[in-house]
Amino acid sequence: MEENINMTAERSLEIITEQIAQSRRAVSKRTGQSLYISGLCTMGMAVVVPIINLLLKTTLGHLLWFALPFIILFVLRTTDKDQEHAPINFVGNLVGKTWVTFGIFGLGFFTLSIVWNSILIHSVTDPMAFVAHRVNFSPIIFLLMGMAVAMTGHILKSKWLVWFGIIASMVIAIGSYAGVGEMILARCGAPLQMVAWSNSFLPCVSVFVFALFGLLLPGWMLKKQK
Amino acid sequence: MFKPLDPLLHSELRLAIVSLLIGAEEAEFPYIKEQTGATAGNLSVQIDKLSAAGYIEVEKTFKGKKPCTVCRITSTGLKAFEDYVEALKSYLDVK
Repeated sequence: MEENINMTAERSLEIITEQIAQSRRAVSKRTGQSLYISGLCTMGMAVVVPIINLLLKTTLGHLLWFALPFIILFVLRTTDKDQEHAPINFVGNLVGKTWVTFGIFGLGFFTLSIVWNSILIHSVTDPMAFVAHRVNFSPIIFLLMGMAVAMTGHILKSKWLVWFGIIASMVIAIGSYAGVGEMILARCGAPLQMVAWSNSFLPCVSVFVFALFGLLLPGWMLKKQK
Repeated sequence: MFKPLDPLLHSELRLAIVSLLIGAEEAEFPYIKEQTGATAGNLSVQIDKLSAAGYIEVEKTFKGKKPCTVCRITSTGLKAFEDYVEALKSYLDVK
């Protein structure tokens, strides 16, 4: 592009349109890459956690979720080196802040619930009292995750993502609250021990589905956008 | 009646730089160079002109050990761009 001051109004308009479009494309690609990597890491963690839980016959594997934000940040920083010159803009920032907010709320609520449940299990003798007063955090986390997906959809102007976030989070949250997963396992003739340990892997299945449709797929779509 | 066009923006490269920064919060020098296809020397001169007019803000930092120049549009630049587009409409007969 040369220093041309005798350009026509049409050429001016063409430059403005072209540059704004180019800038938007670059930002969309960068946002897409972040969503894609976050989705991949979350899906990977949703596979690792139940494997650890089932191998060690515990639910402590869920503590690995705390490492997820750091893993995502590390992978993003490593891959970002290839695209160090990509610009940032309002849309990219907004999507990032939506997911960071979800991360803070989700992990914060998860931590407080674990602390409360641990205190409760050591202070009550009646198992029914524990069941009645424990915090079932999965439905709340699914609702928060659905909100993050729906907000991402609004920001990226993707209606299907908005509706997916709303419908999927509500269905999964209600299903999780009512113990539909455990009922299905029991109906399918799964061993009683497996049904009892379902808390170690069922939430991970929902997280996997959310990450696939809420992070990986929109990220891939943005990355491939022409 | 044709409105006067801002001479600072009515240049291919300077207009491209400002248009690029409109769509992004900030952009690094190599990105602007890549998108506009300008030479580093020419781009540097035009960025200095826009910066001197207060249309853009230039920040020289370091990314690791590498020097990094980041450009941002200012409110003056945004106003000048809006006025330029308004003036452009009178030439294009757009209401």
